[in-house]
This record gives sequence, structure tokens and C-alpha cells, in this order.
Amino acid sequence: MESKQVMIMGGGIAGLTAARELAEFGVNVHLIEKTGFMGGYAIGYTCKATDECLQCGACAVEKTLKAVTETPNIKLHLSTTVDTVNLQNHKFSATLKKGPCYIDPEKCTDCGLCFTQAPEEGVVLRGYTKNNHPLYVITEEGIKKHRDFLASVCPEGAISVDAATESASLGVDAVVVATGFEPFDPNQKPTYRYADYPNVVSGLDMERIKREYGRLVRPSDKQDPEKVAFIQCVGSRDERLGHLWCSRVCCPYALRSAQSIKHKSPDMDITIFYMDIQNTGKNFPAFYQACKSDFRFIRSIPVDIFPEENDRMTLRIFDEAQGAPAMETFDLVVLSTGIMPNPDNQSISNLLGIELDTDGFFTHAEVLNQSITSQNGIFIAGTASGPKTIASSMAHAGQAAGEVLKYLGVTK
Amino acid sequence: MTTAKNTQETEIIEIATDVLVIGGGYTGLKAARAIAENGFRVILADQEAADNLNRFSLLGIAAPMENQLKELKDAVAADERIEFLPDADIKEAAGVTGDFTIRLTSRGEKMEKKVGAVVVATDIVSAPLNHIYGLELSDKVLTLSDVEEKLTDAEFQNKLKSDQPAVAFLVGFAQEGNPLLMKRVLDSVLAVNEASSGGATSYVYINDIKVAGDNLERLYKEGRDKGAIYFKLSELPAIEQQGGSPVIGFHDPVVRSDIELDPDFVVVEEAMTANQINPELAEILRIDLGPMGFLQTDNVHRFPVSSNREGIYVVGSTRDIQDLSDAWTDVENTVIQLKRLLGDGTREIPKFRAVVDREKCVTCLTCYRCCPHGAIYWDDKAVISPVACQACGICASECPQEAIQVTGYADDEITEKIRTAVSEVKNGAPKIIAFCCENSSLEAGKTAALFQYQLPEGLRTIRVPCAGKVDIHYVLTALIEGADGVLVMACHPGNCKSETGTTFARWRIDNAYRMLEETGIDKNRLEFVTLASNMAPDFAKIAVEMESRIG
Repeated sequence: MESKQVMIMGGGIAGLTAARELAEFGVNVHLIEKTGFMGGYAIGYTCKATDECLQCGACAVEKTLKAVTETPNIKLHLSTTVDTVNLQNHKFSATLKKGPCYIDPEKCTDCGLCFTQAPEEGVVLRGYTKNNHPLYVITEEGIKKHRDFLASVCPEGAISVDAATESASLGVDAVVVATGFEPFDPNQKPTYRYADYPNVVSGLDMERIKREYGRLVRPSDKQDPEKVAFIQCVGSRDERLGHLWCSRVCCPYALRSAQSIKHKSPDMDITIFYMDIQNTGKNFPAFYQACKSDFRFIRSIPVDIFPEENDRMTLRIFDEAQGAPAMETFDLVVLSTGIMPNPDNQSISNLLGIELDTDGFFTHAEVLNQSITSQNGIFIAGTASGPKTIASSMAHAGQAAGEVLKYLGVTK
Repeated sequence: MTTAKNTQETEIIEIATDVLVIGGGYTGLKAARAIAENGFRVILADQEAADNLNRFSLLGIAAPMENQLKELKDAVAADERIEFLPDADIKEAAGVTGDFTIRLTSRGEKMEKKVGAVVVATDIVSAPLNHIYGLELSDKVLTLSDVEEKLTDAEFQNKLKSDQPAVAFLVGFAQEGNPLLMKRVLDSVLAVNEASSGGATSYVYINDIKVAGDNLERLYKEGRDKGAIYFKLSELPAIEQQGGSPVIGFHDPVVRSDIELDPDFVVVEEAMTANQINPELAEILRIDLGPMGFLQTDNVHRFPVSSNREGIYVVGSTRDIQDLSDAWTDVENTVIQLKRLLGDGTREIPKFRAVVDREKCVTCLTCYRCCPHGAIYWDDKAVISPVACQACGICASECPQEAIQVTGYADDEITEKIRTAVSEVKNGAPKIIAFCCENSSLEAGKTAALFQYQLPEGLRTIRVPCAGKVDIHYVLTALIEGADGVLVMACHPGNCKSETGTTFARWRIDNAYRMLEETGIDKNRLEFVTLASNMAPDFAKIAVEMESRIG
């Protein structure tokens, strides 16, 4: 039997998992990723282990990406978007828009010269792991500003500064939508002054800081903060923004992050401002109990943030215990930004003829089966259909792969 | 010593393709049907006595779902590939993946089944918690299940309509709540509102609102919009029950006053807990019992449905508190794993994954006991199942007779690698040998090198399949051959793909420390650390720190 072809849109943890599962059954997978790096947001998350693993799942992303790069029947399409999709006789024909890809993956040895010798930051971006290949991506801005440098820096001749956008076409038997989410933009909550104060950071910013410095430091002075506040539900469960959903990952994220930060800096004073703490893992009651003895939990979402000397900040809250407003000053404020629908969802919905729910995530066509869409041959995986943890994105992607195999009639 | 065999050599073996499914609730039925649809024969064993599949785990199921459940039940009953065994009691599971012999009774009758794989789908159990609130159940004090049932009853609906009662819900003080329990409360609040045409008022006394589930935030808002009042309290409210009528009081910090309510009905939360049969099944099937009585630890290296034994899967509420759509997700993931494992009944497998030297084996069964994957059995000597074996090598390093060798990691091969590595470092740089688990630190080290993090010049890594493969001899060999420092880099506890590899490695290194102390060798030359694959900066930092310590 001729080998089946499947197109997976999105190279995050859901897309990677679905690709790996399908490839195991001899399916040829085309994995389409719009950025220059596979792995999605989750590949940038740091390990949250203390003396023991806290099951954040970040290393599972690393592991899955490695497996995908080592699987011959998965073709990776980086810096690629899907332009059109047509269905005829149970076959989808898609046109892809690729690039421009300035680095030739065949020639690039990931030596890093272009990155280390770049005249300024932002010319060349580096990936997250050895499993990102090419490990480097040249930005549009880099090409505009430093064309001559880029034209001459690579000893392997892997950089072509004249690379242009290319089109390609693809015929596939099924499509998996694994286009993921968009982190909430904290600027939409102006009273938190994210754009103004360097020491108000989002969860993703904190990940970047931890990757770069190996621990949590204040962006303003690169010093260890003594007092850190986590503000939960930034962008989630927010009626005023019309966001009537819980992002599900931010409580686990904040609690695990706080544990791992505290493990590295035991003297750090951590406060968590919250509405309701959400569970994670089957051992949650014990974990939450441990957290309660390590951190201060205040059931109140701060109203706004004022600047203080030395780049510190004061939060204004309602103190439930006192029944009165209160102020407290911190060295660093972490905003637990929520999971929002990918802004591309509407155009993907139009492209494929599958529906979005009122929140802007993709709906599933059956009540209990979460990976079926209203279109035959199109399946859904991961946070494209709503907030999920890494583990549940993987499980959802496994389910989608199962549905694809059923649809294609692939047995082993 | 058994030396390296041709690692490419494979053989084709036959395996049993029937599948045992344990549990006749929704998840078990769904699993049985999905597995049968993929062409496998299924033995569906349910511990309940009912012989007509009339039992479902209906917790939190809205009425329209019942039709779907009935369809599923009928499909299972009509499916000739599914053999249903009611009132079943699993006694023993002998053998290994692809070749299990299950001894059980059904309605007291003894039987023996050959299966290739096992799927555990036990239901969640619900129990009233009124005693924790100091409440006696009565016609005014109801369990959540009671009220769910009554809300479908026309008489009760009419009573709600005519009496327009105040209904109090008590949730999250007797246990940590969860989204499934929350959904039941949110649904009940809306049902009270609808049945009473908006006349009844729900007062929900709750700790944390657990809305991390599909649509729950929206249901929460809908309930409040329709008049439900939520009191979020961090402590149990004061409850008095005199003559059947409870009074609930607490101090509201927001309005700074005491609020007392004398509701017409009180609905008390229920515990939703793992099935009490789980520990017994864990022991019989030799799989890990996780926290709170659920099966399996949360190990990120495995798919959530995979247990520590290849070919044994845990789905739905067997492994955590999960709703029906999560259970469906689990079932489909299990089917995909089964298809890969059992296929058409033949498997091509590496011939020499791990080999027991039958001359040396004294059948002490150390390997049987320490294998975290339940891959070892015995005839008159120990035998390692090539289907079940994950090649972690823990058995090889624990075997007191040194009778086991893992292909690609035979002791003489590793010794040779250590010698070569030490002799490679020539220019006087401190020689550091790092034994790296391929699942974590080996990856971190490769990324560290590619990212050009500062690394000791004399650092050499030796790949092992698991830190549990690091034999104390390897450490001593490295030191004897001239290494200045030895790093043993394992996964974090709870993250070891083979569950216990980190523990075994740590024991051995603790022993090695004692030996170093006795022989007067500086203990600083040996270090045991735990790392994850995405910790390249930490890998570099650890290696550099060791270099400066011993240099």
C-alpha cells in the first residue's frame, strides 16, 4: 500500500507528538512551523525541578523534538505557512509559503560564527536546544542592516542573503491542526505597567531570564530579588476582557516556578496573589500544602502597581484578613499571563472550514471526542482547542493521531 | 564476561494479541469497544456482579449523555470480539508483555486467559463527607449524588418551584476540590435554578473554585448571573444542626459582618477518590501505585497511559480524577500503543537487548526484584523478556554474579571507553569522566557544547542508558586509570525513565564515597548530581566547578 501523507500545522509539543506517533505507523508527515524553530513556546521553558522532579513536562518537549528530528519520515518545514488548502477526492492539496530561509540547513554546521560575531543583538537568533537545526535564524532586520556581514561570515557558505520566499505544493490525505496558543499580552492590563517598569515581567520573560542567567534576577540590575510577587489570572478569568476561561497552566506554572526559585535561593520571600488555586498532578493536595508553608498566599488580585525607589514596586491590594486596602512593596513582579487563542485561528478556520468557539479556540465536533472537527480528514491537537498543560497537549495529540490512523485505515 | 553481540541482529517472535480490560464502567466499556474495533479480541473483566453491563460511572453526567452511554453499552454487548466476565476477581498475572497468563474467577468459576496486554480502567468512587461537616444526612441534608438524582425527579422539581427554597452547597472544606467535583456543583446550581424557574436561591460555601476544566468559568458566571451566591472562605464555616435544620454562619471580611443562613436544603460535597481495588491490582500486575491511591506515578518520560511495565496501561480515573472526555483521550492513546505493541501478533525485536549468562546465573532473583519494568521471569535461570525489557541496565549492575550484560553497554566495552577517555586527555588538564544518562545529562552536555558554554578541557562523557547502569566498578576504574574527577549525572528523582535508576545510582555512589574515605582518596573527586535534558547551563556549571575543585 502506498504510504499515506499527513500535514500537521504547528511544530509545538502537540504537533511534534502527533508527528512522532503517526510516523511510527509509516505515515509520511509534513510538519509545518511558521517560526524558524521547532518546539513552540514550551521548548523555551526551563526545568522546574527542586531536589526532585515537579512534573512540569518541559523535558518531555526536548525529548519529543529529538525523536522527531531523528525520524526519517517526518519532513520539517520551518518558517513556513499554509497558504491555501483544497479538498478533492479525499485528497487535500495545499500550497505552502516558505521562508525566506537565509540559512541552508544542509550546509549549516551550527558552528555559531554568525551569532557570536554578529555586530548587534537581533541580527541572528539562536534556538533553544541542540535539537533545533539550523540552530540559528537570520532576521529580516538583520538582513536589512548587516547584509554584507552576513554574506561573508559563514565559512560553509550556508548563508544566502538573497534568499526569497518560495512556494511549494503538497498533496496529503489528512490534516492535523496543532497551531497552539498566544500568550496574553500584559499591555492589555495597563495598570500593571508592564511596558514601563523593567521589573514587571511575564512568565515567558522569567523563562528567558532563567535560561540566560541560570537563576531568577531582576532585569533592571541583574541582582537577585529578595521579595517576589506572582500575580495570577493575568488575562484569564477576566470578564472585562471577555475572557471567560481559566488557562489551567498558570497556577501549576507559578507554584512550580516558585518552588524551583526558592530551591535555588532559599531566602527569597515569595507571595502569590490569586483568586482560586487550580490543581496539578495527582499529588496536588500534598504539593499545595508544601507550597502553603513555603510561600505566602493572598487571595486578592492587585489593582495596580506604583513605582518605588531602586526599581521596586508597590502593589495595591485588598487585604481580606484586615478587610481593608493594603500596600506592599516588591523587588520583582511576575505576571502569570494566560493562554489566549492564536490570532491566526480565524484565518485557519476560514482556510479549512472548521469552526471556532465563542472564545476563539477550535471546537470539537463531538461532545466527548475532543480531536474531531466538523470536516472529514481534519483533526485538532493541543492548545489550538483550548488551554492545556504539556502533558494534556501530548495526550490530546496522541488522540488526534489515533483518529487520523482510523480515518486513513492504517493498521500495523 | 559476555562481550558485545551484533547489536543489529533481530528475531521475529510471536505474541498473544488478546487484551484484558479490567473495569466495566464507561472507560472500561469504551476501551473494550475501541480495542475490539481495531481487530483485537478483548476480555472485559468487571468486579461487579451485574451480568448485563448495566453499570456506568455516571458521576457528573448530564442527562443527554445517557443515550450515548446506552449506545456504547449495546455496542459492547453485541460485539462478538468482546468476552464479558462479570463478578470477576483477578488473582494472578504471570508472565510478561505479549505473553501474560491471567488467572481469575468470574462468578466464582476459575479460569485462565492468555493475553498480550492489560488495560486497567477502574472507576472513581464517590463517598459522602457530611461527617466532616458534623452533619447528619436527612431530608434536609443531602449528598451531591442525592441532589443530582432528585433534580431529575418531577416531584422534587415541583417542590423547588412551589417552595422557592434556599439551597446551600458545602464544597472544598472536607477535601481539596477538583474540576470534576466543581462541574457537578456548577451543574447542580444551574439545575436548581432551572427546576425552580429561578425561584430557588443557591448559596455556595466554597474554598477554591476549581475551574481548570472545559467551560467551567462560563458555567460559574452563568450560575451567578442567575442569582447563585458564592461565599469563598478559607476556613470551614460554623455549622450547627439542631433538629434536622442546619444553620451556617461565618464572618464576611468584605462587608465586615457575621452572616448566618438557615437554608432549606444543604448539599454536602462528596469525596471522589481512586477505586479501593487499585492497590491490589497494582500488586498483582506489578505496576506502581501512585499518590492518593491512583495507579502510576506522574512520570513525564512516559505517555500518561503507559505504566512502568510495557503492555500494561492505566486509563481514565484509574490514574487520576478525570472526566469522560479525558477518559476517551486515554482510551485512544492506549489503542495506538496497543497497535504498535501487538500489531499482527508478530514482533521483530533485538535478539540481544540484555543477555543472562546461564552459566553464571545462580537464580538468586536479584534481577527479578530490581527490574522496574517487570521484564524478568525465570525458568531454572533468570530470563529477560526482549519485548518488555527497556534496556536500562539496572539488573546488570545489581547482579551479584555479573551474569547480565546489556548490548552496547557490556562491562568490558564501558571499561574500554573509560580507558580511552582518560588517556585522550594529554595536556595536563584535569581529567574528568562524566557518566551521563542518555535521557538527561548526555543531552544537556551536547547542547552545552554546541552553545559554546565554558566546559573543562579534560571533560569526557560516557553514555549510559540510565544512571542505574553506573556500576561502582566504573567509578573506581575511572579513578584507577587516572581520572582526577568523576561525575555521575542522573535524572531528578521522580524523573527517571526507569523509576528507580537514580535511587540505585545514588546508593552505589554513597558506597563509593565510603570506599574512597577508607582508602584516603579525596571525596571531592567524585560527585553525584541530578539534571534534566534542558539544563545545559547547569551541566556546564557543574563540570566547571568540579574542575576548579580538583584542579
